[in-house]
Amino acid sequence: MIASTSQRPTTTGRAAKPPAPAPRTRRRVWTSRSYLVAAGLLTLAFVSPIYLTIVNAFKTQDQIVKNPAAPPAPPTLHNLTDALSRPDRIIQIGLTNSAVTVIASVLLIIPLGAAFSFWLSRRPARFRRIVLACFSAGLMIPPAVLLLPTIRILTLLHLDHTYPGLILANVGGGYLSFAVFVYSGFLRSIPAEIVEAATVDGAGTLRIWWTIIMPLLRPATATVTIFLSLWIWNDFMNPQFILGPLHGQTITTGLYLSVGQYSTNYAQLFGVMFLAAVIPVAGYLALQKQFIAGLTSGATK
Amino acid sequence: MGLYALFILVPVVMSAWKSLTNENPLQDHARFIGAANYTEMLHDSALAASLTFTLVLAAVVTLAANALGIAFAMLLNRTSLSFRMMRTLAFLPQVLSGVIVGFVWRYVLAQDGVLNNILGSLGIISHPVTWLGSPHLAMFSIALVATWVLTGFTTVVHLAALQSIPVELYQAAMVDGAGRWQRFRAITFPMVAPGTTISVTISLITMLKLYDIIAVLTSGGPADSTQSTALYIIKLAFTDDRFGYASAVAMLLLAVSAVISLIVTGLLRRREVDL
Repeated sequence: MIASTSQRPTTTGRAAKPPAPAPRTRRRVWTSRSYLVAAGLLTLAFVSPIYLTIVNAFKTQDQIVKNPAAPPAPPTLHNLTDALSRPDRIIQIGLTNSAVTVIASVLLIIPLGAAFSFWLSRRPARFRRIVLACFSAGLMIPPAVLLLPTIRILTLLHLDHTYPGLILANVGGGYLSFAVFVYSGFLRSIPAEIVEAATVDGAGTLRIWWTIIMPLLRPATATVTIFLSLWIWNDFMNPQFILGPLHGQTITTGLYLSVGQYSTNYAQLFGVMFLAAVIPVAGYLALQKQFIAGLTSGATK
Repeated sequence: MGLYALFILVPVVMSAWKSLTNENPLQDHARFIGAANYTEMLHDSALAASLTFTLVLAAVVTLAANALGIAFAMLLNRTSLSFRMMRTLAFLPQVLSGVIVGFVWRYVLAQDGVLNNILGSLGIISHPVTWLGSPHLAMFSIALVATWVLTGFTTVVHLAALQSIPVELYQAAMVDGAGRWQRFRAITFPMVAPGTTISVTISLITMLKLYDIIAVLTSGGPADSTQSTALYIIKLAFTDDRFGYASAVAMLLLAVSAVISLIVTGLLRRREVDL
């Protein structure tokens, strides 16, 4: 039974088990190599739409029409340079606006979420539960439900169709709920004695929060930063309606507008899409350990 | 807390209030019309269609994505480098924005698109299929794309849950002579329950919210067949300028989402406790 011999023997009980180790009596024996190939092919088939985007971003229209799946030979950078030299500079503007929105939103949500969660962690358990239940609603409510009244409030504040308005809506909306959830979960593992000891030593609440709690919360901050950056970057509905079509674009709304124009010019389409996707994908590949850890911490508790 | 109240709680209350008016930005002032919007909803066939589509889509995609996610996770449940790379790839659909996902798939599913080419050259179809052009196929295509996106998420969550199962359990079961299916039923399936709870809940919430993928793929068409309730609310509010009625439909979607979330988390948690 080769499936299990390919597995290094491990001493910890948490080692991955072979997915379905066939009993020794089974006639059909898969070599670990063909298992690997089968799994690999399936994975590649699964991500094939992404493969198409990447290879076709470097091919001419003729090459794409002839064989969309072929690798780019010879590769061309024309699609990318065309996308970047558009007179409306939609890629550059979109990337800049998205970056500003993400950074400003996350920089506001992190201290607000962490401070609020810290304050909440020192309130009575019953109060804490009620407040957290309210916040869980923030995660579940479909954004389409909140969109219209949010725009109303921003109009009252004279912030409709502005970036500060979009950022404020991000900070106050469901994203803050996510931060509060992650921080609250993490704060439960920090012993209350640490705070008590610091209080005895004469440290004020704000100082305890900043010099003791925030450093301890660093892994939670990593999770919150990664996921909020990704979600706000990829958000489409809020920028589409809060900014409106005439007040600049983020990368998602810019892509939506620009791709609509050349639905048959595939070379252009893939060039623009590649540029729009490359930052989140590169970020994910660079930080994938933290991504997966943040994502799965809840699944195995 | 104040901010949160401002942008979650106040909008909900505002929606609830507006839903009792006939507010319209083209008219001077809104009038209180009581429950008229709610009685109108009872006779609104477009609303019924969109709600049915949303609920069926959410149920089908949640089931499909989680079944595929468990299967895919079991397939990739090894620790060698190549399998870790496959896990990295499997999560990729989750990293892309819905707008990009929508455009890529619009290309794959187009009349002269990749899928028709492949099926045609295999001899499975003789004419190109209009994947996004006819109501039933468009619904299927939306479900397909949404399942693809969510499977990236359900796979990684279930993989983490699988890797926390002690290997001794399987060894003991094999000593006792349990077969492949028995081991899945008695060990794998119950042991990944916490992962499934999270995965199913988040899948459902995502599907009830789904907007960008549909907006790009079909914008609700053809003939409003793929108009989810979220899209319908936005159309009422921003195309038809019917703020009051849009708010009433929003309240309905809110109530439906809340009830579904509560029921499903309740059921799944019970499955965990039963262990």
